[in-house]
Amino acid sequence: MAHEDISVIRLRDLLLVTVPPDPDDQTISVLQERVLDAMARQDCRGLVLDISTVQILDSFFARTVAETVQMVSLMGGRTVLAGMRASVAITATQLGLTMGKALTALDVDRAFDLLGALPPKGDGYE
Amino acid sequence: MPEQPNSPSNKLLGTSDSFRLLVETVKDYAIVMLDPDGYVASWNVGAERIKGYRQDEIVGKHFSCFYPLDAIERGVPQEELEAAAREGRFEDEGWRVRKDGKQFWASVVITALREKDGTLRGFGKVTRDLTERKRTEERLQQQSREIMELSTPVMQVWRGVVVAPLIGSLDSQRTQQFMERLLNRIVETNSPMALVDIMGVPTIDTQTAQHLVETISAVRLLGAQVVLTGVQPAIAQTLVHLGIDLSDITTRSSLAAGLLVALDMLNLQVVAKDLRS
Amino acid sequence: MNDIPEGELRIESENDIVAARKVVRRTATAMGFGITDVTRIVTAASELSRNVYQYAHFGTMRWRFLNEEAGVGLELVFEDSGPGISDIGEAMRAGFSTSRGLGLGLPGVKRLMDAMTVQSQVGRGTTVKVRKWLRRSYAAAITSGGDPPQG
Repeated sequence: MAHEDISVIRLRDLLLVTVPPDPDDQTISVLQERVLDAMARQDCRGLVLDISTVQILDSFFARTVAETVQMVSLMGGRTVLAGMRASVAITATQLGLTMGKALTALDVDRAFDLLGALPPKGDGYE
Repeated sequence: MPEQPNSPSNKLLGTSDSFRLLVETVKDYAIVMLDPDGYVASWNVGAERIKGYRQDEIVGKHFSCFYPLDAIERGVPQEELEAAAREGRFEDEGWRVRKDGKQFWASVVITALREKDGTLRGFGKVTRDLTERKRTEERLQQQSREIMELSTPVMQVWRGVVVAPLIGSLDSQRTQQFMERLLNRIVETNSPMALVDIMGVPTIDTQTAQHLVETISAVRLLGAQVVLTGVQPAIAQTLVHLGIDLSDITTRSSLAAGLLVALDMLNLQVVAKDLRS
Repeated sequence: MNDIPEGELRIESENDIVAARKVVRRTATAMGFGITDVTRIVTAASELSRNVYQYAHFGTMRWRFLNEEAGVGLELVFEDSGPGISDIGEAMRAGFSTSRGLGLGLPGVKRLMDAMTVQSQVGRGTTVKVRKWLRRSYAAAITSGGDPPQG
């Protein structure tokens, strides 16, 4: 249905994934698969999840993101959630959702800055 | 209204003619007698006017029908009768339902009526329709909220830094509105640093403290940070007592100190001009 | 209001969770809820319809426009004939567990809405009812408005 709406782009050693506005459960699961696939095939040290058009962030989405962040971390990468909407941030907080160890940034630009500024994993950082 | 001498209404009101006349003709108050189990025993003109039922259709019915469904589900009518029986009197303001289903805001006093030997004879219930007063109160509250909003703006003071000085008492609704305004402003101005100054807030309750903590968490989800400044000792005490972990919240005693922290986090610093050359 | 003030939706597939979100979004927006409240209500609907699908596999969502002297609001009722909740008290205390993905998320949903009631019988089914009132003052509203009664 909306699988084509997820865009996964590799920019050097970083992945940029753009999430559609109201993804169904299957789209979210496919997103996770494609991220892990891309991480495995290429040497990526970071994932930027662009959620600036996402209108609803429920527990399934949050769980999948938290899992993805953990898997990416195990594969040597970091994840940044970029561009969360104010209404979504408020709702997610009140619902009690956490996104695991994901970093957050106001937009994709800052997300890339964040990943650029961080030293690659494995050198004792964190 | 022809009645048997021993009718419930007679037993509760007594047979003093002038008193009965007073009760029966008062229009602005619903004066209702209930039997010890809460069934309507007598009705007056005011009750018909306020609640909409005629005497012949309501006497003998249980008084819980005047309450909204939610209240009935929670057992509120029974609780109020029990409170009146215990304390002698129960007073409350709340929503009640008319015959046509419309709700009105009521001021209610339920009094337990007892025989000389203490046995419960029934209850007297006086109800006043306060909808109009509540309307006015609401309007005033809304106006004062609007004034509060004007006096607590979220201002961008530098590229990447917004400041929100909170002044006055914070209630749950005001804090939620603030949360929305702050987050929207952060997104609009693309500011990773938000200074929230609560020097002008004397006390906060549990709900508000929770909302404040929620605000800080929500700001983090956006990708920004909050520096909390001006935390008064009383507030610090409340937060600690509520078990709120302040260790991962950046705090400073003054807004000025907070600003320096914010600039520092943005890798900026304030340098004095060299006026010598 | 042009949108249907009440209706019913079957929940028997993942697509129905999305359908539920869509209809709730449309209805809540048409009613005049602000963007954050719309997000809250739609998220609550997503959680509750997912519970129905996940635990009972089949159920219904009914929505109803509330128009009372007390205020204007939206009510959603999620009903199923699934396994039921054995300990509602416990369900209301337990929060989310993102790592294990267990739990109904009821306390969180309650926080998003103004009122929630849960009725459930093991082996018979569950009914969850939630309500959100429009935050409008008496002065501003034509039909009705103001802070709703608790419940």
